[in-house]
Amino acid sequence: MNEIPLIFFLWVGAFLFATGLSIILIKRNVIFVLMGVELMLNAANLNLIAFSRGDDQNQGLMMGLFVLVIGVCEMSIALAIILQVYRRFKKIDIDQFQSRN
Amino acid sequence: MNSPLMIGFLALTVLTCGSAFLMLWTKNVLHAALAMFMTMLGLAGFYVLAFADVMAVSHLMIYVGGVLILILFGIMMTGQRISKTGQTNELFTEQKGRFWAFFIGLTVFFGLSWLLGQQHFYAFSDMDQQSKLGRVGLSFMLEYSFPFELTGVFLLIALVGATYIAKNHE
Repeated sequence: MNEIPLIFFLWVGAFLFATGLSIILIKRNVIFVLMGVELMLNAANLNLIAFSRGDDQNQGLMMGLFVLVIGVCEMSIALAIILQVYRRFKKIDIDQFQSRN
Repeated sequence: MNSPLMIGFLALTVLTCGSAFLMLWTKNVLHAALAMFMTMLGLAGFYVLAFADVMAVSHLMIYVGGVLILILFGIMMTGQRISKTGQTNELFTEQKGRFWAFFIGLTVFFGLSWLLGQQHFYAFSDMDQQSKLGRVGLSFMLEYSFPFELTGVFLLIALVGATYIAKNHE
């Protein structure tokens, strides 16, 4: 049986991680940054699943399922916080927040 | 190398990486949400190719069905007031420091690829291509029962907290 080599999955995961990192660095909208965070989370998750392929105890798969749930929790709370920030400041740019020095 | 599995993998790679790059390229938040939808579809396909069917189905349900709708609501409820010039509105985001971000992203990608190429990974066992649903269910009830319950309580607390935070406190 010809399987896909493991390193291909890892390359795709690395690409997604780098793209998510660039999105976080470039964009100035908080929702956009949150989408970049999700992309990075899923890239890490893909690595877990790919390694779990050759494991008969499915440890990576279980870890991936838990990571999925934690990601959803993070997403919902972050969007609620963004909503409150928008209500208070009427903007969700990152550059609007400046420390008082 | 020319097996149907490999061709499917290449097609999924083009879909996933292409739409991830589109997310990086576009300035429109809605276009980025659409590109994220395609990325999540491609990732579910990768999970299928990695013989993790449970993960693929739950990923599709949670991300395409849940998180994306949440993001669309977030985009809808924050902004889109048309500015005075009439050209741009809040859907278009500003970008800053493009060069450095691209540089850092490229460095991370090539660094990770190089690092992963140095290693020699081997599998513990032969890859079985059966469905893993039954074994995952058993593992949730047996050796992972405590994390499973903990995750359930965590999810409940997070959702209650999110609704409380999103409430209009006035």
